[in-house]
Amino acid sequence: MMRLENVLKQYSRRGHTVDAFRCDALTIGDGEYIAIVGPSGSGKSTCLSLLGGMLSPTQGRVCLNDISIYDQTVPVRSALRSQWMGFVFQTFNLVPYLSALQNVQVPLALLKRPAAEQVDRATALLERFGLADRLHHRPAELSVGQQQRVALARTLVNDPRIILADEPTGNLDPESRELVLSALDSAHREGRSIVMVTHDPLVASRATRRLTLREGRVIDADVSAAPIKHRQSA
Amino acid sequence: MTLKSIIWHELRSRPASVICNSLAILLGVAALVAIRHVTVHSEQEISQQLADLGANILILPKDTTLQDYYAADQNGATLPEEYVAEIYLAGLTGVEQISPRLNIEADLGDLAVTLTGILPQSDLKAQSAWQTTMLFSAPKEHEGCQQAHINDSADLVAPESLVLNRAIQNLDPHELILGADIAERTSYAVGDKAVIAGEEFTILGLLPPTGTVDDSRVFAHLHTVQELAGNGPVCNAIEVIGCCEDAAGDLVPALRDLLPEAKVVTIAQIVNTQVGVNQLMANTSWFILGVLIVVGGLSLATAIAANVRERRREIGTLMALGATPRFVQSLFLGKAIVLGLCAGTVGCMIGIVTAIVAGPAWAGVTVSVLPATAGLSILIATLVAIASAWWPSRQAARLDPCTCFQEV
Repeated sequence: MMRLENVLKQYSRRGHTVDAFRCDALTIGDGEYIAIVGPSGSGKSTCLSLLGGMLSPTQGRVCLNDISIYDQTVPVRSALRSQWMGFVFQTFNLVPYLSALQNVQVPLALLKRPAAEQVDRATALLERFGLADRLHHRPAELSVGQQQRVALARTLVNDPRIILADEPTGNLDPESRELVLSALDSAHREGRSIVMVTHDPLVASRATRRLTLREGRVIDADVSAAPIKHRQSA
Repeated sequence: MTLKSIIWHELRSRPASVICNSLAILLGVAALVAIRHVTVHSEQEISQQLADLGANILILPKDTTLQDYYAADQNGATLPEEYVAEIYLAGLTGVEQISPRLNIEADLGDLAVTLTGILPQSDLKAQSAWQTTMLFSAPKEHEGCQQAHINDSADLVAPESLVLNRAIQNLDPHELILGADIAERTSYAVGDKAVIAGEEFTILGLLPPTGTVDDSRVFAHLHTVQELAGNGPVCNAIEVIGCCEDAAGDLVPALRDLLPEAKVVTIAQIVNTQVGVNQLMANTSWFILGVLIVVGGLSLATAIAANVRERRREIGTLMALGATPRFVQSLFLGKAIVLGLCAGTVGCMIGIVTAIVAGPAWAGVTVSVLPATAGLSILIATLVAIASAWWPSRQAARLDPCTCFQEV
């Protein structure tokens, strides 16, 4: 589904060039659940941004279904994100002046879907996440866990084939964390690919595959037994 | 959920910010619309005055300053009435009518009024008869004159001729003609008796509204008013009506030669002061337009730029969710259009109300709504808003979503 070929991302700061991420070859198959782990500054978020079509590599290609996404124009990349990808952010990034329902509608609005369809799908997802009585609340009126559930609903509303999650449980209490991870497991069971950046080994253990980064390089690509077991038991 | 509804919800969430951001444009439009409305109506008023009184000439005391033709005889200073006879005797070409006026303040019942003394044309003829036999019986005509004579006695019989022709054929010493406002306030009818300055008069006529100071005057015979004033045979002004503007042009130097102790001015000279004021107001409106564009534009541009900075995370999120740069730019341009339209519309309404309320005090004109000016000012406000938001919205569209998340 997604492929990184000889990708290098360098940042230049004060005359020094830093290799933020380097990867000779990485393939993310359909329905894979990948956890990217590593210390701070190891290039995890850079890897996620490269996969998400939001950060042009210094060299190399990032392909989505054999389409080199950085060879496309910015609007085409936006359209690819809109149709294929869903993002989960550590800080949720809900639009503060929109209600929970309206926040979930945004990806569908960007796809110019009819208003009735937007409302129906967003409502159904929020009900699924136990927020039926919070549809018209603004983010500031929701708890942290509720905000992340709204963000998850927003991620799933356009039925993405790949979910890119950046520390999705970083700000959550154990209960909310379990709810978010269950939602990601559920999405995985539905056949979606998930790439999740995390510091937490327990969270990483839910994935089918773990990439360990250090100083911008993939030093370990482990196919863990535990997640498979978890997947089988799920 | 659409682009419009996102813009609308963002605006609704920050009403104070919306007001502050658009205040400069709102005030600029209000000032522009108010000044343009007053100026345009003032210019129309002047054009009307020029059309109505184009060939008229006023003879005034030397030191008089004046800005309003109709109030020119309210200057307090006086001229000898014998100037009227001198003008007759000079036999100047193109003289149509001569109308001396004298004003005094008097009480009509409980109402304080301006009592204006006028000399009926019949008395002028009588004066000329014993002074000379050549005048009026054979007036000198101007060769280029194409305008019909108005001193035909048939035209001047009705009291209303005072409005139409600024003269009347007959007026007895104890007859009064009431201006429209006075008539309305006192409820006198033609034929009623009225006491003014201690003397009883008969109401000869009620004048129709003119929109001038004549509406609030009471007219009586000049000699009666002179007796009440007790200053002898004097008047405040002498109005000379030429047969046409060409004649008036030739008459002015002739009258100046004839009456070196008096000031001789034409209607064009009198309205010149108002023309100057109008020009000043027109220039001010251009200045306000400049302020609107520069200050309003800069103010809104700064506000939109600040809005882009504080919404970087939101912009990054929208881009991650699939928003195109065009969508992001439209988000801010749309907001600017709404602000420009609202500020333009509200400013326009404030400007119109200000002009309607203050117009009579500022320029002595009645102001009505000018749809073209209103529409144009709203359009200008919107264009200024679009122009000022263009650069910051373009910057927003070019933001790197990754840096949006990192820097906030």
